Amino acid sequence: MTNTLNIVQAINQALMNEMELDNTVVVYGEDVGVEGGVFRATVDLQKKFGVKRVFDSPLAESAIVGTAVGMAINGLKPVVEMQFSGFSYPGFNQIISHVARMRNRSRGKYTLPMVIRSPYGGGIRALEHHSESTEAIFAQIPGLKVVIPSTPYDAKGLLIAAMRDPDPVLFWEPKRIYRAFKQEIPEGAYEIPIGKAKIIEEGTDITIVTWGAMVKDVQKAAEMVKVKGIKPEIIDLRTIAPMDRDSFVESVKKTGRILVVHEAPKTLGVGAEIISIVNEKAFLYLEAPPTRLTGFDTTFPLPRGERHYIPSPERIAKTIEDVVRY
Amino acid sequence: MKYEFRFPDIGEGIHEGVIMKWFVKPGDEIKEGDSLAEVETDKVTTEIPSPRTGKVLELMAKNGDKINVGQVFITIDTSDGAEAEVTKEVVEEETAGVVGEVIASSEVIPPSTEVIVQSAKSETTKVLATPVARKLAKDLGVDINNVIGTGPNNRVMKEDIYKFKDELETKAIQQHKVVQDKVSSTNLPVNEPITVSDDRIERIPITRIRKTISDRMTQSRFTIPHTTAMDEIDISKLVEFRKKYKDILREEDINLTYLPFIIKAVIVALKKFPEFNASFDMEKEELIFKYFYHIGIATDTERGLMVPVIRDADKMSILELSKAIQDVSIRAKENRIDLGELKGGSFTITNYGSIGGYFGIPIINYPESAILGLGRIVRKPIVVDDEIDIADILPVSLSYDHRIIDGASGARFINVLKDLLSDPDMLFLRA
Repeated sequence: MTNTLNIVQAINQALMNEMELDNTVVVYGEDVGVEGGVFRATVDLQKKFGVKRVFDSPLAESAIVGTAVGMAINGLKPVVEMQFSGFSYPGFNQIISHVARMRNRSRGKYTLPMVIRSPYGGGIRALEHHSESTEAIFAQIPGLKVVIPSTPYDAKGLLIAAMRDPDPVLFWEPKRIYRAFKQEIPEGAYEIPIGKAKIIEEGTDITIVTWGAMVKDVQKAAEMVKVKGIKPEIIDLRTIAPMDRDSFVESVKKTGRILVVHEAPKTLGVGAEIISIVNEKAFLYLEAPPTRLTGFDTTFPLPRGERHYIPSPERIAKTIEDVVRY
Repeated sequence: MKYEFRFPDIGEGIHEGVIMKWFVKPGDEIKEGDSLAEVETDKVTTEIPSPRTGKVLELMAKNGDKINVGQVFITIDTSDGAEAEVTKEVVEEETAGVVGEVIASSEVIPPSTEVIVQSAKSETTKVLATPVARKLAKDLGVDINNVIGTGPNNRVMKEDIYKFKDELETKAIQQHKVVQDKVSSTNLPVNEPITVSDDRIERIPITRIRKTISDRMTQSRFTIPHTTAMDEIDISKLVEFRKKYKDILREEDINLTYLPFIIKAVIVALKKFPEFNASFDMEKEELIFKYFYHIGIATDTERGLMVPVIRDADKMSILELSKAIQDVSIRAKENRIDLGELKGGSFTITNYGSIGGYFGIPIINYPESAILGLGRIVRKPIVVDDEIDIADILPVSLSYDHRIIDGASGARFINVLKDLLSDPDMLFLRA
């Protein structure tokens, strides 16, 4: 059986499915219970599974994460929500000091099977602290997995995989495309392996690596350059950490060129890491400088500025041409 | 297109606000970013900017009213912009988030094509090279894909590119050595060879003969500045003369053509104007005059154009020349000619008239200094003493090396031919 859902509905269904299958799964966070989350990702969960498994927490991110550490050690699978990724900073100490290190600190005795979900990224004309793309910050911390879906199918499959993962997974949800489109997905539970990228379009002239909400924009840009005879290969990274290096290294060996498109600021971002890997592994195949098209090194702007901040399909298309014609 | 703007969450956890003051009223034209109203919440007093450009349709609350997050706050007519497209997609938003504006659309994207994920391994045929080597190749105009690499894993090294470039140049020099040596200012245009694969194209390696012809023609054409003088010679008397004897001679197996007469006339002219029986040594800056008359006869064979040489033609009678021409042309066609017989000519005659041509621009048989082309003999009306007469006309085209032969000499050379060929008696006297 299949159903046609958008990303936020797919996430809701993933939680429903897994909570039915595994009664150790516990969902909590700010407004996730009665209200069903500010984006309604957890709607109806409390009605269905009760206040013991789905409940509202205080506005205390540090406590939300810290409690989850204790729950996970003691056999539960907490799936907590940071209302926005920009609000996760008060929980940062818990994430770095405990979540990321527990397996290592206990020499493998304890793992933390927990998921920290959070809407991330801009483009919805939100307020300060609501639009950050924080994937690089977390991806650099050993012990954390960082997953970002770009379609309803992937959102559900990856979230279920995250819930079944024995280690902590940060599941960052691109809220700009929460409801931007729908996709037919299976009603039952299924997994998409964490750590595997997907070539969503095959091409020969340039490799474009992207993830999250930028995938759609890159696809639009690809359509623009195809009429000019350029065939891009598009890779949806899907998991930022651990990174599927082979996916883009092999692709660059074929195309000779790489463009990384992300919404987060440029400096010390995930794009920089990808390009370093390309330089190490595919240097001899390069026909043009590996290039990044990203957000700017500024605080994410308020509504009037955000469309200038996020790489648009037009800017992406132009950059693709620049790299291919180098 | 009517756009409903819902009151956004303007601060963490805020669920409601009070409208302190509207800045717009229905009918106002507003731009995206214009302030719509001042709103006071528990935490802040802030101005709410418009998310769209358009015309205000309706304010959904009055000054002093309380408004909840997510409640429609103002409606805007956005019909004149691309925004309309977005607006129409906003559907079924009863359960949408209350923060910001999450674009909602019922667009359905294709189902995922994948259940088990794999990152495809690509079969790559790219040459290996460092970017600096690639740049070098680009700068030198070398297609790096054609270079065979000698580095680790067949990596193309910078040295390989230089070597490849050198080899290309050497090849080019060999092909156009004379050109490059002697005519440094000549910039020859080169047709790109066809490299695409196409069923309608057949590529056949050229024969050695064709290669030789090609090389020699190229060498001649681009070394010698050719010029060609053309004229028509009335040979009516010669035609009559030949007619008189050809049948008699046929009984002796002699095919009496016009060529022996022409050779005789040419030799007279060559003796008078020795620069036509010469060659030009540019390196030594010397003219080489030849006091022998080895006349090359351009002969059409199945394998291509060959030029057997009749040696010491000046010492032969018309009939001896006839036999000699017959002999070499038959042997050339039958591929029984010795290489030595194709060498050492001093002047060449090419007779395309036998096939049908009239005038031509013959290419000099390098390193000779001139070549005579013969066209088809035709009967044509001519004017003699203001009377129209009919004559047998032989068109001639004389190409010569303009470095050593001036135009006047060319014309004088042809005049000698004219005198002798139009009057066989004079030919016999002088030859």
